[in-house]
Amino acid sequence: MTTGGLVVGGLEIGFGDAPGLRAISFSVARAERVAVVGASGSGKTTLLRAVAGLVPIHRGTVVVGSRDVTRLPPELRGAVYLHQSPVLFPHLTVGENVAFALRLRRVPERETLKRVQELLTAVGLPDFAPRAPRSLSGGQRHRVALARAVAAAPEVLLLDEPLSALDPTLRDEVRVALLGLQAEYSPALLLVTHDLDEAALMADRIAVLLNGTLAQVAPPAELFQRPDSLAVARFLGMRNEIPGRVRSGRFECALGSFPVPAGISAAGELVGIIPVDAVDVVPSPSGSARVLGVIHRVQGTSVLVSRNGVELEARAAASSTPKAGETVDLRIYPERLILLPAIA
Amino acid sequence: MRSRLRLLMAGVVILSAALPFAVLAVGSVAGEWRWPALVPSAIEGDAWTATLAGGTRLGPALLYSLALGLATGVLGTCVALPVGRAIAELHGWRRHLGAGMVFLPVAAPPIALGTGLQLTSLSVGLGGTFQGVLLAHLIPTTGYLSLFFVGILSVWDRRAEDEARTLGANPRQVLTRVTLPMLRPSIAAAAALGFLISWGQVPLTLLVGRGRVPTLPLEVFGYVQSGQERFAAAGALLLALPPLLALGAARLAARDVDVVPV
Amino acid sequence: MRRSWKGLAAAGVVAAPVGVGVVYAAAAAVGLVGVSRPDGASGQRVARVLAEPAVWESTLWSLWVASASTILAGAAALGTAAVFRGPGRLDRSARSAAVLPLPIPHLVAGVLGLLILGQSGLLGRAAYALRLVQAPADVPALVYDGWGVGLILTLAWKEFAFLVLVAWSALAERGAALEEAARTLGASPGQTFRRVTAPVLLRAMLPAGVAVFTFILGSFEVAALLGPSDPLPLPVLTLERYTDADLGRRSDAFVLALLGIGLAALAVGGHEWARSRWPDLEG
Repeated sequence: MTTGGLVVGGLEIGFGDAPGLRAISFSVARAERVAVVGASGSGKTTLLRAVAGLVPIHRGTVVVGSRDVTRLPPELRGAVYLHQSPVLFPHLTVGENVAFALRLRRVPERETLKRVQELLTAVGLPDFAPRAPRSLSGGQRHRVALARAVAAAPEVLLLDEPLSALDPTLRDEVRVALLGLQAEYSPALLLVTHDLDEAALMADRIAVLLNGTLAQVAPPAELFQRPDSLAVARFLGMRNEIPGRVRSGRFECALGSFPVPAGISAAGELVGIIPVDAVDVVPSPSGSARVLGVIHRVQGTSVLVSRNGVELEARAAASSTPKAGETVDLRIYPERLILLPAIA
Repeated sequence: MRSRLRLLMAGVVILSAALPFAVLAVGSVAGEWRWPALVPSAIEGDAWTATLAGGTRLGPALLYSLALGLATGVLGTCVALPVGRAIAELHGWRRHLGAGMVFLPVAAPPIALGTGLQLTSLSVGLGGTFQGVLLAHLIPTTGYLSLFFVGILSVWDRRAEDEARTLGANPRQVLTRVTLPMLRPSIAAAAALGFLISWGQVPLTLLVGRGRVPTLPLEVFGYVQSGQERFAAAGALLLALPPLLALGAARLAARDVDVVPV
Repeated sequence: MRRSWKGLAAAGVVAAPVGVGVVYAAAAAVGLVGVSRPDGASGQRVARVLAEPAVWESTLWSLWVASASTILAGAAALGTAAVFRGPGRLDRSARSAAVLPLPIPHLVAGVLGLLILGQSGLLGRAAYALRLVQAPADVPALVYDGWGVGLILTLAWKEFAFLVLVAWSALAERGAALEEAARTLGASPGQTFRRVTAPVLLRAMLPAGVAVFTFILGSFEVAALLGPSDPLPLPVLTLERYTDADLGRRSDAFVLALLGIGLAALAVGGHEWARSRWPDLEG
């Protein structure tokens, strides 16, 4: 176990009549970043608020910095919570907002002012202390809220959808401020988001919240290459599911027979997933697959093809994108094959 | 055509709001004013000179009413804020019941309330006293201001308070450093409203004060009933001025202090 | 659980004086306590007072005045709010002016009613200047009159400020979006007003209208200054009985007080009932 940081064990929370969250266990080490992803309404925010002590929990423990805070009120937990749109106290100046936690602790005034200045400089707003919150732009307010949170010297920073309320152009500004502050002050950082790209970009590990419990906690690369279950794979937006079975080391399905990738133990009836970027289309007049349509995305172009009655999304080279109705050959990279038990 | 009509309507609205105060001003100095002259033929300043010289009951009544109004506004706000907050924290039918209960003192006709309370106030030795009338004025005031705070606090954004908690503030610190400062404009408005409820009150003062509590409205009422129109107009103008000043001040102070969302 | 107890207890503290007043009035009305010597409980007084035609005339008259002035003020507020809602200078001037009477005590409105609408008031003089009347006797009686025209106009003037403020805030809150939707669906400006703006405003103004109605029904001073002596407005009748030279009739006032409180409760209850039957506007 790590020293410091956040350890959540066996957390159970009811939300009114709904089933709520159960058996939630995970940890975030000091200076680590963990992102909880889940559909809207899955209880991500409730989880954060429970860690902060703003929502009562039924069962389980919350340990912050090796202190059991399960029974403590929010102000004694050492975990600062920021709303999706954090609010600055409108009756205080920017500097007074950042000084809020320091003044509560009666830190000497000279030190308070020095610290406020350091933090405002760290978020790129060195001259903003005397300003009123309402004179700031959205991204600036967000950065002040981060500085105010870090001023409390929390063990854990809890961020609810930290970037999703911001214009895309402001996200980088706030993300840079956030990562800079974390690098300097090393709190454990737990954020929730519905945006997988944001999670992958910001977090060391991603925790997938499905049906009220954590389905998988893994670093982004591992999560995207080796989802634990079909439910997680579908949540991640993976396409190209093909039912089949494993027999003597090979996965047999309507597209053919492929060797089971190394390091995977699988047997019996399974669902195979061929990631979109593990299938290439190669134009070929005598090809075995027909192009149904072309999908253009910012990240690249893919084509929808059909072979042996199976529809697949495949990657197309930008230089030679086939047209609908043409025939192509498929080149499949079997080492990227994902094999998962079917959902009953 | 449309803009002409709008101009006419605006004229009517502005005139109907402003003319009455001119009428009061003229009425308060009107000497001989025979029908059908539109303005008085003689000016008589005695209502004002006598009042300034302490020769009418208007001056002392003004001070008395100011004191009563300020006390009602301040005490009413102090009671209504926690009551309103407690009701706003209720849910479902309980909140409706709580709001309905504090609506009672607002909806009950003051004359009916006063008749029911006069002898009760006498029996506890408060009849005809400043304190008794103050308590009587506090009845509709606390009801009205509680409703006012229920309205504000039921839609109150708790995010600032939540964040203050996790930043290390205990509930008392959240109250004194976040909630009350953020509510300051509403608290000022509530105190002003409480002042106004007391300032214009007639029936409760009449009944609980038993004619011994000389507020400005009662003196004006007396001047009207005895046909002394000049003095009644002067008194009415005195009654109108503080509320208008308060309205003006509220407009100036209306730099909205809302929650600043990030 | 403890929280709900606390909230209701707090509300109870504020409502308690009304309870004391009502209980006392009820006890006095049936003769358990009172101005005259208590003579034991009986419903005789209640029955006698409620059988008096004068009492019902006063009640109906007060209901008429409250309804007429509320409707008049509401209609004026609706029109004014819809016309002067823009950002222009004329609109802002009209808005500033319209709310001026808001904080003015009702008593001041009563004095104004006398000075302007009275027999020798400014309105009559203006009518003469416009050659509409020749002598004070030609000026129609607007004050102390049987229909309460002067009283209704005065109260409507005072309450207009409140209702128009409510109407403006309702319009500012959600008027524009709904109207834009109606216009893009093909409604003309007139249709938009009739089918969207007016219904939305009316619904938003209803609680304020009920509050105004209830207030006017129980308000004393303006009715005492501008109302007729026959029938006496209900609140004025209540005070008259309460100060009657005949001590035996003084306790009649408690029956009338209960009648007044009952009417107020009926108006508020009726409004809650109507609201519960209508779908919520916030859908």
